[in-house]
Amino acid sequence: MAVNSQQAADRQAIEKIVNSYPPERRFTLAIMQDLQKHFNYLPKEALQMTAVHVKAPLSAVFSMATFYKAFSLVPKGRVILKVCDGTACHIKGSNVMIDEIYKTLGIKPGETTPDGEFSLETVNCLGACALAPVLVANEKVYAKITPAVLRDVIKKYQGVEQ
Amino acid sequence: MKIRIDGMETEVTSGETILEAARRAGIDIPTLCYSEAFGGQGVCRFCMVEIEVGGKKRLVASCTYPITEEMEVRTATPAVKEIRRNLVTLLYRRAPDSDLMKKLFQEYNCDRIEPVDPEESCIMCRLCVKACEKVGANAISTVLRGTEKRVATPFDEGSEECVGCSACADICPTGAIPVKEEDGRREIWHRSFEMSRCEECGKHYTTQPVSEHVKEQTELNSSSENICPGCRRKKLAAEMAKVRLHVD
Repeated sequence: MAVNSQQAADRQAIEKIVNSYPPERRFTLAIMQDLQKHFNYLPKEALQMTAVHVKAPLSAVFSMATFYKAFSLVPKGRVILKVCDGTACHIKGSNVMIDEIYKTLGIKPGETTPDGEFSLETVNCLGACALAPVLVANEKVYAKITPAVLRDVIKKYQGVEQ
Repeated sequence: MKIRIDGMETEVTSGETILEAARRAGIDIPTLCYSEAFGGQGVCRFCMVEIEVGGKKRLVASCTYPITEEMEVRTATPAVKEIRRNLVTLLYRRAPDSDLMKKLFQEYNCDRIEPVDPEESCIMCRLCVKACEKVGANAISTVLRGTEKRVATPFDEGSEECVGCSACADICPTGAIPVKEEDGRREIWHRSFEMSRCEECGKHYTTQPVSEHVKEQTELNSSSENICPGCRRKKLAAEMAKVRLHVD
């Protein structure tokens, strides 16, 4: 029962998002952005419903969904850790930070912890090179991080429930 | 309007592509992603030529470049040849398992290069995607991007839209799309289709959804014949042989 009601709720959420846009192909991207924001990934059913709504082939919608890095087809964590791996951050030891995250959470770039709490991504430059190495956790920027700071940040987010 | 292609003067209509004009004039420009059925895609860049307009030279893709002014076209300058050779080298590196790329690699005398994946044969020309679109199925598309880009069905699963026509595999210049036909079934893109038999020779020649799709598209009634292209040709030829011309 619980699973079914969750499914029904998800379905309703998808419908609400999809129907908030006119049924035109040019809104595909906007719909998918909203879906990604709501679910932290693009569920299969959501893509199918989007395709029907904007009257585009599912293959075209899928092509778009896989083209942009901002979309994910697998669930992303509640907390998304973005480690900058641009030139400045790289030189300042971003790989050490990535290793530290692997040691603490057991995830590599592109992976999510099994409990769905954390995802790790690398970005090529955040444009904040003076603050290198930079970490962004759910839109919050942490400057000049060290492994110790990193552990504190992770601990902080582990404690905080949304 | 008149333009010159490799020194040969030829009459063209405004808006026509350089490739069309050249082929009509009997000048061969090599292509990979071009099909007369779809027109130029500008994907493979193999058809690059040098144009000179008002004393300025530049390189353009002849399959998509519309002629709107007088120009001099050169299809085999050192720069053009170098581009083609580079393209062949890179495409061979990507698709070393394709006979076409192996042949071109030899033909263009390319320098040895280590292939990325020795079993890959797709050159990403997109002809299959275009064919599927034209058939009206839209079952396949390109997915992902950059070096990971490939042709696939949504979620790499059997697509409901696919009718199993194999137009994608038929148009593929490198034979990169696997199709298996066995015991009256065709397997393609993670699906298996029951095939229809030709009413004349009894051979399996297409899938059942294709027969239905064709009927829908052409509004043929069910009494129209289901015969394979070979038998259709023979039948038409036989009918033509009976035709007598009455010329007074």
